[in-house]
Amino acid sequence: MQLLDIRNLTIELKTSDSIIRVVDGVNFSLKEGEVHALIGESGSGKSLIAKALVGALNKRWEVRADRMHWRGVDLMRLSDEKRRKLVSQDLAMIYQEPSRCLDPTAKISDQIEESIPETDQSGNIFQRRRAKKKRVRALLHKVGIKEHSKVLSSYPHELSEGVCQKVMIAMAIARSPRLLIADEPTTALESTTRAQVFRLLKSLNQLKNMSILMISHELEELTDWTHGMHVLYCGQMVEAGPTEQVFAHPRHPYTKALLQSLPDYDMALGHKQPLYALKGTIPTLQHLPIGCRLGPRCPNAQKACVVTPKLEKEHGHSYACHFPLHKQEKEHTLEQELQEHKQEQS
Amino acid sequence: MQPLLKVQALNKMINVRAGLLSHKKVSLLKDISFCIGQGETLAVIGETGAGKSTLAKVLAGADEVSSGQIILESELIKDGPKHLGDSSAIRLIFQDPTTSLNPALTIEETLDDCLRFNTKLSAAERLEKIKQTLSKVGLLVEHRHYYPHMFSGGQLQRVALARALILDPKVLVLDEALSSLDPSVRAQTVNLLLELQRESGLSYVLITHHLSLVKHMSDQVMVLDHGEVVEYGNTREIFTNPQSKTCQRLLTC
Repeated sequence: MQLLDIRNLTIELKTSDSIIRVVDGVNFSLKEGEVHALIGESGSGKSLIAKALVGALNKRWEVRADRMHWRGVDLMRLSDEKRRKLVSQDLAMIYQEPSRCLDPTAKISDQIEESIPETDQSGNIFQRRRAKKKRVRALLHKVGIKEHSKVLSSYPHELSEGVCQKVMIAMAIARSPRLLIADEPTTALESTTRAQVFRLLKSLNQLKNMSILMISHELEELTDWTHGMHVLYCGQMVEAGPTEQVFAHPRHPYTKALLQSLPDYDMALGHKQPLYALKGTIPTLQHLPIGCRLGPRCPNAQKACVVTPKLEKEHGHSYACHFPLHKQEKEHTLEQELQEHKQEQS
Repeated sequence: MQPLLKVQALNKMINVRAGLLSHKKVSLLKDISFCIGQGETLAVIGETGAGKSTLAKVLAGADEVSSGQIILESELIKDGPKHLGDSSAIRLIFQDPTTSLNPALTIEETLDDCLRFNTKLSAAERLEKIKQTLSKVGLLVEHRHYYPHMFSGGQLQRVALARALILDPKVLVLDEALSSLDPSVRAQTVNLLLELQRESGLSYVLITHHLSLVKHMSDQVMVLDHGEVVEYGNTREIFTNPQSKTCQRLLTC
């Protein structure tokens, strides 16, 4: 069943002299039980999309979408109150930098207790309190924290970043949401804790059939367990599709550049050889280029690139480029064949 | 061949309060020795709290040790708590370039400060040096009038690199300098570092948890655990055949 279906999501920021279109016409859909990755560099608007989804953006941002369906209900048309209710029931989000997002003035036990829904409790006040305490401990055990009493009685600054992240996950899964949005959950963590967090998310997906939307800029960790991949550049969706397909046959030059910037991607790359990198840097929001926003940095940009390319779709793999890589290769081989043919004739 | 940088038996202890009046000694670094040749890269990996950043600070002269020597080109620059050399030969680049540069100074002023405090160059020579260094790291000469907030993350990392390179160091310590960058910017920075190494024979001490980068860039790897060297050797050997448990755990995930 289609869990989430977003068409033409546009997020704009009004400044004193102009309107900046930060996210430009993003399409996005997610089925139940799938893990999707939203990949892009800083400033590409990935966190904004997540925040627009849960409705955490303030009034300065204008969010528009042709449709933003959550299990058949259009979130855009709901009143704020109804939307908040629906979102709090079904969606949960893990934010970046866990130690900063937790309340520094409250103990971990109080913070987790707050996130447990009141509705599924019965009995008198003492029974309820005991049930709540038990639930908190169970949640901590579920995310792999063994020494619960020590963690529960401490403040966020006393815990390491990895433990804070696990506490955040515990709070997020307290309501057993259908969709978990993880906004760069592992950037602050070192490799062993990162592997633990990924294992935890993976098991949540498999055991509870929880859908996960991973937001990250680290490609290598996501490729082996996500079902779908969406690549963003400067607020434009440049490529989307099943992970293996995107990974094996990137159609967009940006995706290819991202993949090739991984030292492990190209096995033929020698030790200490230069990596493939696009020239220049990500443009700032005030100076976004028109048309395809990769244009000025793209190795095969041409005149047509000043017009925003439409998203083309084939076999579930969509890309927005006037000159996709596979077509160029085809042309290339055609040209070669032609030349060979000519040579044979002469 | 004489190694460029030789570190012998570094020890660092700190006093931690154990009771009302008593103190407990905790050692952050235990008997760390290694050597780096010219144009080589040593990668230091380990979990948090393994002492990686402490080692980086000690190398750059920003932190004290209890005992041990650091020898650079057969010249003793650190003998126990005494710091004998200046800080111009081993330079440190920090994790986050946005917070490690002074926002109130232009790039020229930042770079000029390094030169004023460490060299005896005249004003004209300093300006020439600043221009040279900026173009070396791939920035424009005009960028020297800019303030840090006017740069993007990748450019700021280049500025940080320029600040490190302006004193013509022999060894550069990169303390997680590549982890916070975006992939394409990181690839650019890696290329720049490798190019500088090839041209001027710089040596790097690379502290990171990015294993693919370690594999790509380093000649030797040192694995730290709770301040101790668990494994030290050739990159390829350690990646194909890790001996210790810590190392195996680090490499498998």
